[in-house]
Amino acid sequence: MLKALTYLATRSAWNRFASQMRRLRTPRYVIALLLGLFYLFVIVQQQRAARGDDPHAAGWVELAAALGALGAAAWAWLLGSERRALAFSPADVTFLFAGPVTRRTLVGYKLFRSQLAVLVSVLLWTLLLSRERFGVSVWLRAVSLWLLLTTLSLHRLGASFVRSSIKEHGARALRRRLLAPVAACITLGIIGWTVWRASPALAEAARGGGPDAIVAVLTAIALQPPLAWVLVPFHLIVRPLTAPSPGAWLHATWPALGILAAHVVWVISSDAAFEESAAEYSLSRIRRETPEERARGTLTRSRRRRLPGLLRLEPTGWPAGAIVWKNLVAVVRLRPIRAIAITGLAAGLGTAALSFGRGTPAAETLGSLALVWAGVMFLVGPQWVRNDFRDDLSSFALLRSFPLRGESLVAAEVAGSALVLTLIQLGLLTFAYLAFLGNGDMPLTLGDRTLALIAAVVYLPPINYAGMLIQNGASILFPAWVRSDRIGGVEALGQNMLLIAVHAGALVFLVAGPALAGTGLQYLLRPFLGGWAEIARAAVAICMLILETRWIVRWLGGVLERTEPAAAGVG
Amino acid sequence: MIAVDGLEKVYGDFAAVQGLSFQVGSGEVLGLVGPNGAGKTTTLRSLAGILRPTRGRITIAGLDMSSDPVAAKSVLAFVPDEPHLFEYLTVEEHLRFVGRLYQVADTEDRIPALLEELELIGKRESLPAELSRGMKQKLLIACALLHRPKALLLDEPLTGLDPVGIRRMQATIVSRAEAGAAIILSSHLLHLVEEVCTRLLIMHHGRALALGSMAEILEARPEMAGRTLEEIFLGIVGADGSGD
Repeated sequence: MLKALTYLATRSAWNRFASQMRRLRTPRYVIALLLGLFYLFVIVQQQRAARGDDPHAAGWVELAAALGALGAAAWAWLLGSERRALAFSPADVTFLFAGPVTRRTLVGYKLFRSQLAVLVSVLLWTLLLSRERFGVSVWLRAVSLWLLLTTLSLHRLGASFVRSSIKEHGARALRRRLLAPVAACITLGIIGWTVWRASPALAEAARGGGPDAIVAVLTAIALQPPLAWVLVPFHLIVRPLTAPSPGAWLHATWPALGILAAHVVWVISSDAAFEESAAEYSLSRIRRETPEERARGTLTRSRRRRLPGLLRLEPTGWPAGAIVWKNLVAVVRLRPIRAIAITGLAAGLGTAALSFGRGTPAAETLGSLALVWAGVMFLVGPQWVRNDFRDDLSSFALLRSFPLRGESLVAAEVAGSALVLTLIQLGLLTFAYLAFLGNGDMPLTLGDRTLALIAAVVYLPPINYAGMLIQNGASILFPAWVRSDRIGGVEALGQNMLLIAVHAGALVFLVAGPALAGTGLQYLLRPFLGGWAEIARAAVAICMLILETRWIVRWLGGVLERTEPAAAGVG
Repeated sequence: MIAVDGLEKVYGDFAAVQGLSFQVGSGEVLGLVGPNGAGKTTTLRSLAGILRPTRGRITIAGLDMSSDPVAAKSVLAFVPDEPHLFEYLTVEEHLRFVGRLYQVADTEDRIPALLEELELIGKRESLPAELSRGMKQKLLIACALLHRPKALLLDEPLTGLDPVGIRRMQATIVSRAEAGAAIILSSHLLHLVEEVCTRLLIMHHGRALALGSMAEILEARPEMAGRTLEEIFLGIVGADGSGD
């Protein structure tokens, strides 16, 4: 049986790779591949040219990596998605779930398949970190990376089994699998308590000391019990990465291997939970019913069907408006938007009230976090918000049958996700604005902050439109290379980091020209218009960005009209 | 209404469709039959504007598909063989979506009648996940009929329907043809094709082997007189040296 499953996994991976390589007969794909290889080459060369790391920095790097690993584990327990961890294809369910295959074998198959993604990530990270560091060779570092990523991947899978089992069977499952959730709860409690206790020092460092002071505070916190105890196993799994010599590496690897082995035992022994969760999930996938839908059992079906009045679709108007509407309906159906909005508003008002109180930095801390997230959303938002062409890739043929020009289709597909991302960012910025409402010590006055919020309303839509255009453009130009589903988890850390880097580069490239032109005009007009020159800057920058995106939309629309579903490898 | 002249579709060195020419007039139902891989779906997808023909010309109600695809697509409707639906739109919302795409001003008035005709009235608030394959097929057909298309392209529309559903679908097809639509119907259910279609196009290896009414096809092959469409089909395809 194992041979059959190994054959299935390896042949599928090879055939997928071969089919993607066959796309290289199209010049567009060749250019993309060459650019990608050149990008990796430049990074590797830069790495090689740089000097080795200071061995004293090893402890630092180890601490940062341990904190990162702790964060990944905490995410798996708190916000992890069972969907991806338990995902089997409809064909897997048809042939394997109905076949003479034990659940344990299926878990093994799942682990083997995730190894393919882990190995690609290890390869990418090894290339990105190809310089000799801390005296250990690149090969040993590759092994260390594999140990770390595999352990985290197993942890995520194990956590998803436990969560699914508890969600499905409640207290009965909790009693059977008490140890892991209790340990996770204690760990999460310690993290929460530590963050709360440290928030005054962090806020103080953020106010006066800058990044170095923040790092110093974080280091001090991480070295104090009880967080230091929690971090011990995480130190153990990342220590091989920073070992100063081959001997030290060997010494550090045994504990890491032990933790890996413990995870393998934990996951394999979770086969009962797997049976309950993976099979159910995968079958529900075939029915095209999402677990989120079922999880939101508190909402009745009829209530979920009812759309907000804002989402009423008139029968006449811009025809492609139907596409924007469809994509927004998908978001409303998938997420409890009203509950999120009400909770966000209540939290914002509560935080605003807190901001008027003296001696508590909680509002500032939360406000700062919201600001940081609003910024981070420029990079990770387009990966998360996918209610656009990427979601419709499997319906490419159907889209082509609609009476719409390619450019209308592209414009409408991008508009939906850009709007959602903008609303998320505006929500975070409004939250931050409320969190600092009562703060009179800030360098920016309340009036300045209000203007900044208004400016965000003006600037964010075109910037996010450009960002989403990059993502959708990749799907239109390289439909056979772009996956319609988001690859998640630590297994795909390398691929996702690369994607985010490429996205960031392309977004900066798109926005830089309009921003420079606007700033130049503002510089010229300031002697005559004073503060009003700012409006001229905004107008020019936004108009240029709109013209730029319009040109790209037209070009991508033309490409879309020329692309055939079969040639693109989609239906 | 539908005019195809010298249609050819080539993938690399494989010709999926070659030298295909035919016309379907208003009120006519053309049955497109052929073994698997004959080029039926490629032909229908080319007519629907999903595929770009390698050579040849397609016009729908006088509108050229290659030079004015949006106008040509506005007057036709295509029902694919696989019922792809949008998973977060309900049955009723699918119809509203199509109404906006095709600018159907009386969408709201037409929805109840269409849902009634296709026996979907009880499922108006259901998501695709809650529909059987046959119901999905019916929803696709309802979407196709919403904007009163002048040309209707149906690729295996009877797959997944129960016997009653098939009979009702036949009636729907006939009534649309009587209302003046030009219809092309691809199906492997030859006895039903024989009942519904006014003319037949038998395809094999991307070519047309026979085109015309049953009487015209039999006139060209007197040795097949008195046979059913299935026997004629097997005779023609077999004579072509097939081995599907």
